[in-house]
Amino acid sequence: MRLENPYLAEECAVKRVKRQTPDVYTYTISYPRGSNRLRMPFRPGQFIMVSIPGIGEAPFSFSAWDDGKGIFDTTIRTVGNVTSALMKRGEGQRVWVRGPYGRGWPMEEAKGKDVLIVAGGIGMAPLRPVIELVAKNRRSYGGLEILYGARTPNDLLFADEFESWKGIPDADLLLTVDSVPKGIEWDHGVGVVTTLFDRMRTEPNDSIVMTCGPEIMMKFVVKGLLAMGFQPKDLYLSLERRMKCGIAQCGHCQIGPKFVCRDGPVFPYSELRGLPDLLV
Amino acid sequence: MGGKVIAKDSLGEFVSKLSERYRIFGPRKKGTEWIFDEVRSAEEMDLRYSTTILPPRKFFIPTSERIFSFKMDGGVEEPEERDGPSLIFGIHSCDLNALLLLDMVFLEGEFPSPSYARRRERTALVALTCIDPSENCFCESMGTGPSPAGGYDVLLTDLGREYLAESGSRRGEEMLALAKGRAVTAADLEGKAKAIECAKSKFKKKVDLKGIDELFLRNLDNPVWKRLGEKDLACGICVNSCPTCFCFDVRDQLDFPMVGGVRYKEWDACVLLEFSQVALGGNFRRDRAARIRQFIGHNLGWGGASQFREFKGRAKCVGCGRCIRYCPAGIDLTEVVKELRGI
Repeated sequence: MRLENPYLAEECAVKRVKRQTPDVYTYTISYPRGSNRLRMPFRPGQFIMVSIPGIGEAPFSFSAWDDGKGIFDTTIRTVGNVTSALMKRGEGQRVWVRGPYGRGWPMEEAKGKDVLIVAGGIGMAPLRPVIELVAKNRRSYGGLEILYGARTPNDLLFADEFESWKGIPDADLLLTVDSVPKGIEWDHGVGVVTTLFDRMRTEPNDSIVMTCGPEIMMKFVVKGLLAMGFQPKDLYLSLERRMKCGIAQCGHCQIGPKFVCRDGPVFPYSELRGLPDLLV
Repeated sequence: MGGKVIAKDSLGEFVSKLSERYRIFGPRKKGTEWIFDEVRSAEEMDLRYSTTILPPRKFFIPTSERIFSFKMDGGVEEPEERDGPSLIFGIHSCDLNALLLLDMVFLEGEFPSPSYARRRERTALVALTCIDPSENCFCESMGTGPSPAGGYDVLLTDLGREYLAESGSRRGEEMLALAKGRAVTAADLEGKAKAIECAKSKFKKKVDLKGIDELFLRNLDNPVWKRLGEKDLACGICVNSCPTCFCFDVRDQLDFPMVGGVRYKEWDACVLLEFSQVALGGNFRRDRAARIRQFIGHNLGWGGASQFREFKGRAKCVGCGRCIRYCPAGIDLTEVVKELRGI
């Protein structure tokens, strides 16, 4: 039997680049016509490996997916070789994409329950498809509450979509920032994202929490929510780790017995408790 | 499966016949150590070797390996399959079991590795019951030696003037058909059992595997890690000499003048600082204490417990003792386990 080389990627086109913040861009990427990937199921929270030949490959989450059309968004902060090259090459460039990989957000488990989203900075990127999915299947889910924090108002992603998020029936959006630079108008909270817990209405019973952000932020989110009576099995975190393969072989993303690429990147807190090399 | 008893005098002829079909790699003396190297005759091999510097992993996972080549203006080319059949002669039980563990990573997951599968398929394995474990060996306590239960094509056991040769596969049967020898008697099997018992009496190290995954997870904050972190040089020799370490980096390299390049895999090591580094310099195992804990924990603790989920309870470590033998800081994972147990 001839095995397929799992590192072979599909060449895709970057259709559109949209600036989100000074260093974060959303890339709209399209699979070629006739691609097998068009029929592949996609789950919010999964990731893809994107590469530019000669520069390298890196894992990114989806920030949107157009079912059946093979078009997706990935929202990326410009911090390294691959992300800088992506940003500089802009629209029209060709990139290699393989995936999707991993376990996404618990959209099935969340059905019939309230959904609480707690995001920090770039951590909103993999949660945006959750918001879209809940909006699209509004009656399948209970209340939707979104808590979103960033360093400054300029660092909030998808700010032009906030109004439509608020327009989703039975949905709330609470915002906070660490600080407000001079000359910027801001009539929301100031402080870390957990300061929004006081104003939140989601109750521990019959709810699912999905959080993504810096691990230190998630540590305090978990701590705060557990103190309020949320259960470890209902708190889902999306983790960041170094990944070179995405298919549970290169070993970089290991956390104790877990491979973040295969067993995550989304984990219920109940599976992470007591494992090494975690801040949460 | 069948077997034969081969006089030591006839081994040369057997190897010579095998060499007509296979490229043979066997244990060869190098200075005071041994290496697995290409050999053309039985005389070039030292079958009384204790352990080789590098395990045979290098034949299945090269230090550096091309995944594909690419052209900047499009087009990808996969490496060609050119190598013919090869044979590893005299692989010990620890190293053989290591290959069975690597199979779980590279063959039994959702995305099997074609290059690894090819190399495993085309490489015959003539195993050798280990009769002279080194001072650092502890395969017996890991359940991986001194004689393998399976996974070989042929298993040789030194009976003194003869070798008991047992086949473990159809390929092994075919290989044994090339050997001159006599039929196996009950006394030969008894001789093998005695050789194994004798080898077992020589072990100086062991690991108590009882509840070991729990032991590690309960002791993540044990001061032993901090002390080891201060001792550890983070040189990576433990990983490079390990028969089951499989981690690798993936990199791109452009040709000059940048018309194309290669994407390649290269051995990597969890004890190195950059291994767990992410964007903006974040690092989940910045301290050496966390890195040595990962190496030892992966080998003896959580690695075997659930990482290869289908094989619960088996450790990644096969007890070959190489990491102990080569550690310049004198870190001995069998001693670390004792410390964690408070012994």
